[in-house]
Amino acid sequence: MASNPMQQFSVHKIGPEIKIAGIDLSFTNASLFMVISASIILLFLFFGTKEKKIVPGKLQLVAELFYTFVAKMISDTAGSKAKPYFPFIFSLFMFVLFCNMVGMLPYSFTVTSHIIVTLIMALFIFIAVTIIGFVKHGLKYLSIFVPSGVPAVLLPLITIIEIISYLSRPVSLSVRLFANMMAGHTMLKVFGGFVISLGLLGGWLPLSFSVALTGLEILVAFLQAYVFAILTCIYLNDALNLHH
Amino acid sequence: MRGYYCIIIAISAVQNNLFAAEAGMPQLDPKYWASQAFWLILVFTILYISIAKFYLPKIKNNLDNRENRIKVDLDDANKFKELSELKLKEYEKILDDAKKEVIKIHIESKNTLDKEIKSKKEAIEKEIEKEIIQAQKEISELKKGSISDIQKISEDIASNVIENISGDKLNESSIKAVVEDISKKNIGKYL
Repeated sequence: MASNPMQQFSVHKIGPEIKIAGIDLSFTNASLFMVISASIILLFLFFGTKEKKIVPGKLQLVAELFYTFVAKMISDTAGSKAKPYFPFIFSLFMFVLFCNMVGMLPYSFTVTSHIIVTLIMALFIFIAVTIIGFVKHGLKYLSIFVPSGVPAVLLPLITIIEIISYLSRPVSLSVRLFANMMAGHTMLKVFGGFVISLGLLGGWLPLSFSVALTGLEILVAFLQAYVFAILTCIYLNDALNLHH
Repeated sequence: MRGYYCIIIAISAVQNNLFAAEAGMPQLDPKYWASQAFWLILVFTILYISIAKFYLPKIKNNLDNRENRIKVDLDDANKFKELSELKLKEYEKILDDAKKEVIKIHIESKNTLDKEIKSKKEAIEKEIEKEIIQAQKEISELKKGSISDIQKISEDIASNVIENISGDKLNESSIKAVVEDISKKNIGKYL
């Protein structure tokens, strides 16, 4: 079954079965890699913030670069009102980025290639943003569905489209990340399989493809984390600064 | 690129019986959905709390510190720059003053020197004049003296000569008159 490119996505239990109220909450390889990614982030931040030098060391510089990168992303897209949500966006970006990057290591597991994981994150963001919108603006938040400057004839149609697009946000957000990660890893696996099956004579071409794809996938891993975070910022901006 | 992706995935899907019941997408198997959701929420919550409570404030503190430090340093640098400019102006002023003073001293000393030279010159000239007058006086006195001396000597010589030649003693007054007459006639030649 090793040649099955979908094999890498299978979840299996590690350790004893944990059942709470009849629900299986066992520790799995997916949970393991979530813990690994989070630990790497925390270790990185621990060593990155250990020294408080005026002229930063390497890790401190990288930690500060991440900080300023995310801070700039938020202030650019959602403005200064989004400052209280900075820790959440930062954690989200780091978590998705490190899960993607850890998934690039051979024999590892890509947490974000599972629709349930990305869907939970996207749903959480969607619900939280909607609640924030209603708390900040009350029922006026519903005006997000009614864009200004639209002819009255088209208004019902546009409103319906807006509602559908708003409701499809969690789906698009989660599927984008999940599909990108899954497709990339499947491709890598397929080309890896070709290298083996074509042997020493013909395996060089898919091998070179694999190398190129690995570079591309690292780019995609970063890009998807960035897109996930920036879309969250944009949704947050819609909820915080209600103007159309 | 997207089309290429799709074709590859489709081929691999067909090859590997992707859509067969036993080899479908493991992502769509709900067996561990609850577990993944549970662990995701748990891990992410821990991550969020530790990042929000510990690490971000630390990084923010450090960045703020650096910004403040840079600001303070820049302010200091500006202050020092202004100070140095002030000092430079002061220095230039001192240099200017010194130059002016040098010129003044130069002119002054020149003037005093000139005055001194002039006064000394005058004094010396006066002295020289005085001495010249004195000398002239002396010369004229000497002249006068010498004339009477010469007359007396001439008278003596004349009386002696006459006595020796004639043996007679002539009247002194007549000799004197003759000598005087002769000397008056010839004195202009010698003096």
